[in-house]
Amino acid sequence: MNRNQRRHLEERLFKFIMRAALFVTLGMLAAILFTVVRKGIGAMSWSMISEASTGGSYLGEAEGGILNAILGSLYLAGGATVLALLFGLPVALYLHTYMGQSKLADYIRLVFDILWGIPSIVYGVFGFTLMLLIGMRASLLAGILTLALVELPILVRTIDEVLRMVPPELSEITYALGTTRLELMGILTRQSLPGLVTAILLAFGRGIGDAAAVLFTAGYTDSMPDSLMRPVASLPLSIFFQLSSPFPSVQARAYASALVLTILVLVISLLTRLSMRTLSKHVVR
Amino acid sequence: MVNTAPHISVRHLNVWFGNQQALKDINIDIPRHRITAIVGPSGCGKTTLLRSLNRLVELESKVRVAGEVLLESQNIYGPTVDITEVRTRIGLLAQKPFPLPMSIYNNIAYGPRIHGLKSMKMDDLVRTHLQAVELWDEVKERLKAPATGLSVGQQQRLCLARALAVKPDVLLCDESTSALDPISARAIERLLANLKQNYTIVMVTHDLGQARRLADHVIFLWLGAVVEQGDAPQIFEYPREDRTRAYWTGEIG
Repeated sequence: MNRNQRRHLEERLFKFIMRAALFVTLGMLAAILFTVVRKGIGAMSWSMISEASTGGSYLGEAEGGILNAILGSLYLAGGATVLALLFGLPVALYLHTYMGQSKLADYIRLVFDILWGIPSIVYGVFGFTLMLLIGMRASLLAGILTLALVELPILVRTIDEVLRMVPPELSEITYALGTTRLELMGILTRQSLPGLVTAILLAFGRGIGDAAAVLFTAGYTDSMPDSLMRPVASLPLSIFFQLSSPFPSVQARAYASALVLTILVLVISLLTRLSMRTLSKHVVR
Repeated sequence: MVNTAPHISVRHLNVWFGNQQALKDINIDIPRHRITAIVGPSGCGKTTLLRSLNRLVELESKVRVAGEVLLESQNIYGPTVDITEVRTRIGLLAQKPFPLPMSIYNNIAYGPRIHGLKSMKMDDLVRTHLQAVELWDEVKERLKAPATGLSVGQQQRLCLARALAVKPDVLLCDESTSALDPISARAIERLLANLKQNYTIVMVTHDLGQARRLADHVIFLWLGAVVEQGDAPQIFEYPREDRTRAYWTGEIG
């Protein structure tokens, strides 16, 4: 075998390895989806998603549905995402526009990268400690605050990267029109709108799927969410608590929760994809 | 009464990027309502000099600027200067057309709007400026459409109109035709040649042919320093410096 034949053989070998990895990965994803759908679909009914739980899950006498957990999760993740965006967008814009490539900015980015990597149970513990300190009970508000902390580093770092992708020429010609930095930020935000929405979706997806952060802070309840100061149910915890039950009827509710959670994330992703065309209508390439 | 004082005077301008000196003791006068071309080989500091005139150079990291740039005898690097006001008086046409991420209409309206023009007059203003760059007939049916849908040549004319809409009296052009096809490039050249009646134009160009076609005044830069400056006929036909002559004939470059 001469040198060239060997090089071509090498390429074929590595192509095979990459393809195999791709198939394994896709297969795993398909298996997960298949399991969630197969187990969930049997438990699914109109009353499952239109009624709150009537309690008694622990005794195997599960009645009603999981609407309390669905709404709870939407409130928790929605509130947390809005709150995190309220702080995250200004932080990212400030980092980008005022601090640029300075050393300090890079240290701040590093801090957010580390925060991103911290397991959410640690945020949960932090939130819980804080609640004890100020005498707050497990509640929707405490859950939102803690989840916002989980989402904040994701938003800051993703938006920061999105802003970095804006061509520097766009900032220059904007400045050349005599804009202030604040007005430039408006232009940057318009230009990175599709990226911003993706960042928000990423943060929301992380928030709605997180069980550990809300475990101590939002608690769990069979009632519908009715007050910021009362505990709320959430889909991840609905899975966590009910799957560990010995009763098949209760377990079924966990599978239904998993299916609803998956569908929620899927629908939001699809809606985002569909809106991308409109969002990037004005984006300069 | 014709005002013959220079519109912009640069005095002892030095620019460093880190330890690298990009511009060395630049002293130039830019005449009013003329086209001044800054020429020289790549990396000689042409663009840095241009960007020093509206302080865009300060956006670079680790940059240090010393010296004065006098716009109507006011030093734009002075401590009390409002940088947004300076940039409003000095427009920029960049190398590649970069529309703002908004509609054709809003691309023109954006600048006047942030400077406080009432929206009642805006339609007129947008139309006049699009007409001034001969774009009106091509876009009047789709003013609300994204500016990115225009061809590159149209986009550059839009960018010119956008720059003029904030009513500058100086226009900086940074190789503004180099990304365009020859026909679009000629259209921009023709517009610039007309605009010099009302604007002081400073252009950076690689293209000596373009400098010969357009320039009234020429500044030849070499390795960050001015070799020679003068009125176009004189500097092109009778350069005082050997290096200038060598660059014109293509012996160096």
